[in-house]
Amino acid sequence: MYSNSELAGLIRDDAVHRSVYTDPEIFELEMRRIWGRAWIYVAHESQVPLKGSFFTTTLARQPVLLVRQDDETINLFFNRCAHKGAKVIEVESGRAPVLRCGYHGWSYEVDGRCKHVTGGDAAYKASGYSRKDPCMGLQKVPGVASYRGFIFASLAPDAPDLRTWLGATATSIDNMVDRSPEGKLEVTGGVLRYHHDSNWKFFVENLNDMMHAMIAHQSSAQTARVMGKELFPDDPNPPAEIQILSPFAENTSFFEEMGVHAFDNGHSYSGGKTSIHANYSGIPEYEEAMEKAYGKERVAEIFSLNRHNTVVYPGFTLKGAIQTIRVVKPVAVDQTVIESWTLRLVGAPEEMLRRSILYCNLINSSGNLVGPDDHEAYHRLQNGLTTDAGDWVSMGRYLGNEEPNDEGGFSATGSSDMVFRSQFKAWKNYMTANGAGD
Amino acid sequence: MMEQPDVRILERFLFHEARLLDEKRWDEWEALFVEDGEYWVPASRNQPDPHTHVSIMYEKSLLRAVRLKRYRHPNAMSLQPEPHSVHCISNVMLDSFDDDSGVCITNARFVMLEYRRNNTNIHGGAVTHTLEPHGESYLIRRKKIELVNCDGELDNIQLYF
Repeated sequence: MYSNSELAGLIRDDAVHRSVYTDPEIFELEMRRIWGRAWIYVAHESQVPLKGSFFTTTLARQPVLLVRQDDETINLFFNRCAHKGAKVIEVESGRAPVLRCGYHGWSYEVDGRCKHVTGGDAAYKASGYSRKDPCMGLQKVPGVASYRGFIFASLAPDAPDLRTWLGATATSIDNMVDRSPEGKLEVTGGVLRYHHDSNWKFFVENLNDMMHAMIAHQSSAQTARVMGKELFPDDPNPPAEIQILSPFAENTSFFEEMGVHAFDNGHSYSGGKTSIHANYSGIPEYEEAMEKAYGKERVAEIFSLNRHNTVVYPGFTLKGAIQTIRVVKPVAVDQTVIESWTLRLVGAPEEMLRRSILYCNLINSSGNLVGPDDHEAYHRLQNGLTTDAGDWVSMGRYLGNEEPNDEGGFSATGSSDMVFRSQFKAWKNYMTANGAGD
Repeated sequence: MMEQPDVRILERFLFHEARLLDEKRWDEWEALFVEDGEYWVPASRNQPDPHTHVSIMYEKSLLRAVRLKRYRHPNAMSLQPEPHSVHCISNVMLDSFDDDSGVCITNARFVMLEYRRNNTNIHGGAVTHTLEPHGESYLIRRKKIELVNCDGELDNIQLYF
């Protein structure tokens, strides 16, 4: 069992101990102290549109059940029958007037109260139980909050205010929502679940690792770039596939200039004024709808924000400019599932959705042209870190070169390790704090 | 008026296609498609289209060309060591035949093993080919692969089914 000072000793300013990626005991502690304390993304409100609509997922590996109560309220329950403890709802989503356990038939109102005990209450007379006792109902997850339709939950009863906790990354969510002419998003088009045989932190770090793309994705991105130039030499609008893949092979100075930006609680984003999504062809019908909704000036402001990846630490990542999110689901110290969801910009032409879907197919699916190289990198990290070559993993690149930014965080050149240092600062805070999750 | 082919002729075509994939004769395989022929692996059951719902793969000639070039690229990290496949095709049936155009839609079942670095992934499902007559043989207008675990958690899929 690690003491707090031992845990703190795993993080240096310029390096991190390899055991944070490889030790199953640390992984179990992370589940309780990071994933059990932070706000974790659950679902988007559009996934439970009507009273009784439900959606099942996991929160720090625990099955949970999201249920719409009415227009305003959404409850999040542990997906566990109060009777013997079986998971109540096994399907991913649906709508039900009551929630019924398939084992012994106990049923619950959508607000979690026990509705029916098989055989009636009399059986529990001697035990003194009553259906009205809260312990006979579904148990609520302690913290649930929503920010502009994105629902987060916390296993800690004392989680901070969600908007405050999100800090500057809330503006990445704002920007995605603002890109809808109606200011509204809708999850649509299914989900991709990509299994990785590697620690969750490798994926989270990689999203704002501005040094790997042109190396690790050379075989697909550089190929697409060259083919684009050969096949469509004078076309300013080559096919979307070429436009999506080519920027991954941009040179190092492009990624340095995109920059990285880190904030409290381990959050970060890369890009800002520009990103690998900045130069896609315009879709005039969409731009017209936006201008009609917001006016030219405001639209220019919305489109001027073009971030690459935003990481809401530990497990929620989004791309506002292309309306996709990737949700991190740690399974074991060396097993992680990444879910990719697509959001429709309500009021925008379907071409926008088609582009987001194409992006997900090309970049996020298990059969895509980019992800297997990232996955291979994580696999090699997981493997390489088992060697006796050294206990410490460097994160000292451009140490101390970061500058304060006007959003209350720090900014640095793209290839700085600042984001990783910031993530491990938050890691250390969560892992060594007293209170919930101990 | 075209004459409906014997299912064994179509079966032979599917076997040949699978063999080209297993033997990594990529250019010969690509030549089996009509211009802009589709290769589609949906990510959910009864998925209506590849444009408004995510897919595991949806590739026409341009993306296949990128992928086939990547197969030969010296710096493709996830292809070192390289993956290998073996396909088994069975239960081939002719689902529909258009006697004007001669277009056949076949449905078959397949199992494909994808092996890389001591790890063998087993894929299986139904495969539907839309085949246009071409000389003595056929060309693929569309190949749709419905994996039995299309909506499950999937590891890397690097080779064509």
